[in-house]
Amino acid sequence: MASARAAAPPVVTAAGRPRRRTAPTWAWALPPVAVLGLVFLYPLGLVVQESLAPGAYADVLASASFRDALVTTVWLAVGATVGCLVLGFVLALIVAFVPFPGAKAVSRFIDVFLSFPSFLITLALLFVYGTVGMANGLWTGATGAAEGPFRFLTTPWGVLLAEITYFTPFVMRPLLAAFSQLDTAQLEVASSLGARPARIVRKVILPEALPALAAGGSLVLVMCLNEFGIVLFTGAKGVTTLPMLVYSKAILESDYAAACVVAVVNVVISVGLYAVYRVVSRRAGA
Amino acid sequence: MTSGIRFDGVSVAYGDTTVLDALTLTVEPGEVMALLGPSGSGKTTALRTVAGFVQPSAGRVYIGGRDVTDLPPYKRGIGMVVQQYALFPHLRVDENVAFGLKARKHPKAEIPARVAEALEMTGMGAYARRHPRELSGGQQQRVAIARALAIRPDVLLLDEPLSALDAQLRSGMLAELARLHRELPDVSVLYVTHDQVEALTLADRIAVMDRARLQDCGTPQELYRRPRTEFTASFVGNANLLPVRVGADGVDFAGAALKVPVGDASPGAAATLCVRPHLVGLGEGPNALRGRIAEVQWRGATHRLYVDVDGHRVKADVRELRDTPPLGSEVTLHFAPEDAVLLGSGVGDGTAPGVNDG
Amino acid sequence: MLVHSRKGRAASWLVFAVLFVPLFAVPLLVIVAASFSTNWSGALPSGPTTEHYAAAVRGESLRALTTSLATAAAASLLALTLGTWAALTAASLRGRGRRLLDALFVLPLAVPSVVVGLAVLVAFSRPPLLLNGTRWIVILAHTVLVTAFAHQSVSAAIRRLDPMYEQAAAGLGARPSYVLFRVKLPLLLPSLGAAAGLCFALSMGELSATMMLYPPDWTPLPVLVFTATDRGSLFTGSALAVVLMATTLLVLLAVSRIRTRASYR
Repeated sequence: MASARAAAPPVVTAAGRPRRRTAPTWAWALPPVAVLGLVFLYPLGLVVQESLAPGAYADVLASASFRDALVTTVWLAVGATVGCLVLGFVLALIVAFVPFPGAKAVSRFIDVFLSFPSFLITLALLFVYGTVGMANGLWTGATGAAEGPFRFLTTPWGVLLAEITYFTPFVMRPLLAAFSQLDTAQLEVASSLGARPARIVRKVILPEALPALAAGGSLVLVMCLNEFGIVLFTGAKGVTTLPMLVYSKAILESDYAAACVVAVVNVVISVGLYAVYRVVSRRAGA
Repeated sequence: MTSGIRFDGVSVAYGDTTVLDALTLTVEPGEVMALLGPSGSGKTTALRTVAGFVQPSAGRVYIGGRDVTDLPPYKRGIGMVVQQYALFPHLRVDENVAFGLKARKHPKAEIPARVAEALEMTGMGAYARRHPRELSGGQQQRVAIARALAIRPDVLLLDEPLSALDAQLRSGMLAELARLHRELPDVSVLYVTHDQVEALTLADRIAVMDRARLQDCGTPQELYRRPRTEFTASFVGNANLLPVRVGADGVDFAGAALKVPVGDASPGAAATLCVRPHLVGLGEGPNALRGRIAEVQWRGATHRLYVDVDGHRVKADVRELRDTPPLGSEVTLHFAPEDAVLLGSGVGDGTAPGVNDG
Repeated sequence: MLVHSRKGRAASWLVFAVLFVPLFAVPLLVIVAASFSTNWSGALPSGPTTEHYAAAVRGESLRALTTSLATAAAASLLALTLGTWAALTAASLRGRGRRLLDALFVLPLAVPSVVVGLAVLVAFSRPPLLLNGTRWIVILAHTVLVTAFAHQSVSAAIRRLDPMYEQAAAGLGARPSYVLFRVKLPLLLPSLGAAAGLCFALSMGELSATMMLYPPDWTPLPVLVFTATDRGSLFTGSALAVVLMATTLLVLLAVSRIRTRASYR
């Protein structure tokens, strides 16, 4: 009765096993998908449909305002991303590897910072660099001049500064997470072998941080492409980005067809980049 | 008696990788069956097909004569204890133990008594109101066992239940498990382990697994004294595995004729001779082997000698020596004919595991 | 420790302070300082006053605050339900179905908020669902925008959840629904709280889609901050912004208190 055959032929059951879980599980996916479809996919589909109005694409793509907005959006996003990466790397490096009293508080502050809306930064910059603000006030107070020299706030540079400020924490967070997993023994061995800090950063830390940098950077790039609040608050006539163009076409000019065309272009760019981000961050294990 | 587990040609494959190959094995009602094997041998997969967490790609699994292959885990009526305890951290000890009873809609009035009984049985009665995080590893494991026993399963699955504990706790829990099984003689137990001591201590029978296949199955004594394959010989206990050629009433090893029972092995065939190191003696005697000392290890009560006999390394565990022979010196080893087991080359599937030096 | 010499450390901290303080700390401080002032034409603001706060907690501003709170609460609850449902379902699916579901719910993250606003506006200004001009269109847009975040963080929590708990429960005879309500959801509770807090904060500060959708009788606080700033009342805007930040922080703090009590390990 107690059978133990080492080499029994495999018994293949004639009756195929019913995949008992697959069907009900799929059914569970339907309600959320239906809701999302109604409130998001269907509206998005209508935007695409609306954008296909005769001549809409030709008109918008040919217009100077669209091309300006496209160029401005892209260079602002790229510039802000580069700025965030450099600044975020340096700051995260110091927080993680040259710890000081209050370093913990700084990382908590970063978390809080992330939960504030972006336009607050522009509002704050108005007081710091605005025509009647801290910096210009200091200048006029010191030199007696009638006006201060800082008037970049309503130019793209003001938007760039605000975006770098606001989005740097988005780079720092994944970096700090990656640094916390870095084996400190590795750093100690490297420095006991006589490597100088700059060399350790280049040879040990940077390679480890690359995935987090790539993931954080591409996320920030997408968010910059889509940023609206900062640009709106700047109130500069000269700075028009794609989201701003969507808003002004739709709300200020009531030109829905044009707004939809710009929206489709914007979506294509950011969804494409976001897909890249997902691939990168999955590879990075983030 | 209707409990017991039966594997009927159970295979599990992930893509091209077969992790369990046509396992056929019966655990009798009330029996403790140990699935013993190295990691990756398929033993845990076999247990998980009984629990229902792994779907076999072929074959059927029976619990108490009932085909459970297509049943979801919650309908199988098993008790299971895993290595990491898996106690629910948000529930108190008594709530953990009551979980299975509540999930099965057991009459509410009886639950407290059943919980108390199960906790009493594992000696955890005093900890009923604690949370798992307030308990030590050994205590958590006791609660996990109580939780599995509270539903009074016919079948208890233990997946490396002691490997997260330190050595001292482990031997204590081992005795505890043996006692529990004496108190619950009707429960069939499937005990997965990679530790031969656990298997030899607890099991009524041991199923030795390697490379997704069942290699051998028998009582601990059978497997230890009369292993049928080289793998069993080296994995259950320690073994010298010597390549020999079968003669008329003995074998040829390294030019020496050894007297050992040859059974029905055909003369002239190549075979492997298994001799346990602790049954090899130092000095003249029957079946003498001459060689040079290659290494000596002191292990407290014993000395382990490694002796080169014509290019083959023979291990001998001898009582602690007052004067250890110097390296390179010539020594004679011997063993009694009845202590040797001839493993035919046809037995097993020619597995040649690395020499187990444990 | 990367830099061992005392001088080197001091230098790195100086670099940190020079970058961090003006970029991150000053802006927030500046807003707070401005909210208590009437004038800022020198290095420091002047004309201390609490007048802006008095205005910020009555009439239109108070209504905007409650509007924001109601919108954020409704949107986070809806998004949490939807996102958790989708994340749980996705976790029990395999292969392509799971990837598709995940991708679908992450999509709103990649679409600009302004475009979400435009899409919702286009879709719900026409029959059969005419929501334009009502508060529901704002709540709906916020829900769409934060669902992706809820789904993301709940998915991550589910991935971190050890399957052994689920299996232990199933082994003890618990059917899937029992496992869900007695094991999985209780174990996920801390993460659900965190996700709710995140959604709430995001919805409180949402401006892009709201600007395209808000009806006159449902003006959330960020819109009011903008209109105040736009007409030049920077100091009033700052007070409103401080109220917005403080409320968000308070809610986040409350959520994290509940989370700490609910976390078991």
